[in-house]
Amino acid sequence: MTMNRFLREPLLHFLLLGAAIFAAYGLVSEGRADEPGNIVITAGQVASIELGFTRTWHRPPTREELEGLLRDRVREEVYYREAMALGLDKDDTIIRRRLRQKLEFLTDDVVDQSQPTDADLNAYLLAHPDSFRVQRGFTFSHVYLNPEKHGERLTRDAAELLARLNHAGGEADPSDFGDSFLLGHTFASVTAVEVAAQFGQPFAMKLGDVSPGRWRGPVESGYGVHLVFVSERTEGRVPALDEVRDAVGREWDNARRLSANDTLYQEMLKRYAVIIEAPRATPKTAGPIDTK
Amino acid sequence: MTNTVRNTALVAAIAGSLVLTALAQQQTAQPQTTDVGTLDKAKAEQVFPTKPPYSPYASRTFPSRPYFGDTHLHTSFSMDAGAFGTRLGPREAYRFARGEQVMASSGQPAKLSRPLDFLVVADHSDNMGFFPDLLAGKPELLAQPLGRKWYDLIQSGKGNEAALDIIGNFAQGTFPKELMYSPGSRLYKGAWQQTIAAAEEYNEPGRFTAFIGYEWTSLDKGNNLHRNVIFRDNGDKASQVEPFTIYPPGSVNPVDLWKWMDAYETKTGGNVLAIAHNGNLSNGTMFPIVEAFGKAIDRAYAEERIKWERLYETTQMKGDGEAHPFLSPNDEFANFELWDKGNLDASAAKKNEMLEFEYTRAALKNGLLLEAKLGVNPYKFGLVGSTDAHTGLAALEEDNFFGKTTPAEPSPHRMTAAFMDNPKTGIKIMDWEVSASGYAAVWAEENTRASIWDAMQRRETYATTGSRMVVRFFGGWDFEAGDANNRMPARVGYTKGVPMGGDLNAAPQGKSPTFLVAALKDPIGGNLDRIQVIKGWLDRAGKVQERIYDVAVSGGRKIDADGRARTPVGNTVDVANATWTNTIGASEFITVWRDPDFDPTLRALYYVRVIEIPTPRWTAYDAKYFGNKPLPGTRMTVAERAYTSPIWYAPAK
Repeated sequence: MTMNRFLREPLLHFLLLGAAIFAAYGLVSEGRADEPGNIVITAGQVASIELGFTRTWHRPPTREELEGLLRDRVREEVYYREAMALGLDKDDTIIRRRLRQKLEFLTDDVVDQSQPTDADLNAYLLAHPDSFRVQRGFTFSHVYLNPEKHGERLTRDAAELLARLNHAGGEADPSDFGDSFLLGHTFASVTAVEVAAQFGQPFAMKLGDVSPGRWRGPVESGYGVHLVFVSERTEGRVPALDEVRDAVGREWDNARRLSANDTLYQEMLKRYAVIIEAPRATPKTAGPIDTK
Repeated sequence: MTNTVRNTALVAAIAGSLVLTALAQQQTAQPQTTDVGTLDKAKAEQVFPTKPPYSPYASRTFPSRPYFGDTHLHTSFSMDAGAFGTRLGPREAYRFARGEQVMASSGQPAKLSRPLDFLVVADHSDNMGFFPDLLAGKPELLAQPLGRKWYDLIQSGKGNEAALDIIGNFAQGTFPKELMYSPGSRLYKGAWQQTIAAAEEYNEPGRFTAFIGYEWTSLDKGNNLHRNVIFRDNGDKASQVEPFTIYPPGSVNPVDLWKWMDAYETKTGGNVLAIAHNGNLSNGTMFPIVEAFGKAIDRAYAEERIKWERLYETTQMKGDGEAHPFLSPNDEFANFELWDKGNLDASAAKKNEMLEFEYTRAALKNGLLLEAKLGVNPYKFGLVGSTDAHTGLAALEEDNFFGKTTPAEPSPHRMTAAFMDNPKTGIKIMDWEVSASGYAAVWAEENTRASIWDAMQRRETYATTGSRMVVRFFGGWDFEAGDANNRMPARVGYTKGVPMGGDLNAAPQGKSPTFLVAALKDPIGGNLDRIQVIKGWLDRAGKVQERIYDVAVSGGRKIDADGRARTPVGNTVDVANATWTNTIGASEFITVWRDPDFDPTLRALYYVRVIEIPTPRWTAYDAKYFGNKPLPGTRMTVAERAYTSPIWYAPAK
């Protein structure tokens, strides 16, 4: 029997497992109150279990329910200890990730808890104007031409309709013209993002170029062709801090949180010398790997 | 510096910050006024006027556009997602859904083509907390006189006092050593509280709704009975409770979840609803008609179920659940993105007799049967789709699909890996079978928690498999052909009928139900192939029946006398280049349809299915981008669709 085969022998596994269990048993069967052989559910823990139930059900547990919870707690403790004694926590990807998450959860936000001043927020607003820009807004009407209904006449029909609309002027009721359109014909004070959500980005962009006060078009969308009448357009602008204080505060906090967490990691990383052994230098992995 | 000193500094920093977090949280624990409060009452009165006109919706301002969102997204706070390597938490999930660019856990930048209107972060309630017993009071903490004092102070709303006391003790070096590491001083750091805090932070009424919610992950013998719980309320109410779990003190029985929901509403005056999903992985237990958990399905069960479960998530990444070819052999569109090999963990194989109790259409029909028997229909639910992504990314556009889990984020191997492989049962599901689906579309008056939640409650919703098409569906007795030419179809719809999710009762003499049906394509999506009305009814013999009617088809195709257009729309997809053209199909349909086979004495339901022309599936975009070869059998095109909530008909008693 080669060594390799010997290592794969089920009997060996059985013996090793047995030895491990025996060793674990030796560890847990010592017997002092705070030693592993005793499982003590403290009065505090019982109170905690009762509280947990109460928060879930909005009433305290009955005696049977509490006993059930305690039995479950003891069972969990037994399995937990046996598993730990066997070293089942070692080199387990899920446990490693869980512990990493747990520490991240604890350290999230720890490095800097200061509240931002107005100066901080103003500086952030000026550095990221696009994140807070008050969007361009429109009040517009449109008339829709469904390409399936017009076929090859689409361009001609659109031109004719445009002339009719301009003849009627701004008083024209758009719902009297063109084809039916499920989202409606008049949109009051909508932002460019809202227009993009309902008509697609290209239409929203083109609408920005349409000069107000006259029927224009055709303007294309994912639905087909539209004639549009922009009655009002408000240009986008960077708002004053007071208008967007909450949003700036949230973004400032988010940026601060990310950099603070990274600072903490860099601090912890300093405690270690990181050595990455490359099995073989390939063009891809050659050279120092940046672990920062 | 020695290690000890550094470690102490770290602990000090942690402990200090926790105190400050407690302080900061205290300030925000006041009732939030960001969302509509008193406004709701006025609105409720509008919906239920004292003397109702013919249509209960006639006197209100009706919803003018659907809001698109995801009611079912997991983040790193879900135990399994974290174990799979997901790094993004609820905050990042909300940022992404609002349209921000974020770094996915796999290290690639990700951004949506268009922002979503709302999102529910629904992490698994079991093991949600890294310290799940924190808010219940950590035993070590409660055993300590000081800890007990702080706990009591915080419980009685004097968190500020507690925090100051904690700081004082810490500064004077009298901070008990055993509390140093104790999570007791982190009373507000539980994952549930963090989840709530993230939702509160990113909720922006009028622009983006961040719902508070969680998933109750009931798994009974490997059979999926999961429900997502969604709060109408703000953090002040939601933070008064702990999410319901399946481990003690929770339960795997949905009946117990409903009790929890009832207790929440009684205690806080708030509102919650639950949305079940993946009946296809329940092995015949999602929609029982005889018994569940050893108890007969009776009137009480039916009443509770429909009280709390107003919606069902009919399509998502782990398969589409509308219909199954075994149950609907004459439905050529029923074989769509199915996952029908077994239950959730693939521990038991599927049998045909289970399907009836798993799929939406069958459940809706059986609901009529149960209503006849019990007097209440437990399966009178509306429909939504959602993602169930475990990446923190509600990214399911076919050309922008970030997969179900972090390892399934875009990579050259994801198309060829196995999602699940159980050699014992022989069930193997490949990653390419994961469906880039779906969204919840909600006809709400405005983009707020209250308005969207209320629309969910009244079932004015539809599911899509990822498209953002607009679908209208109204039922009434007096729609006529001319209504389809009306330029304000919504006004006609609400005036003369009820919207999706509504009821028609006791047909007037000689009348058949009429429906105003309309659909508008996604502005950046594929054209529409057809609209179908699917009817289910309970016949004279007490047997459930179904029938499909094509009511609008593109390209002048003929609808036969039997109500079907059998000519397929065609296919323009160039798989190799992952492109298509909108040279077939229609951009908009609107029509009025009258049920030609109506019997006023029989219970019935009607819902709409809209089908798009074929477009490239995510697998085609992957193959093009990575230049890799799909496995044999991989589906490369998809005809996206929408399913509306039904409109029910009940005969006169």
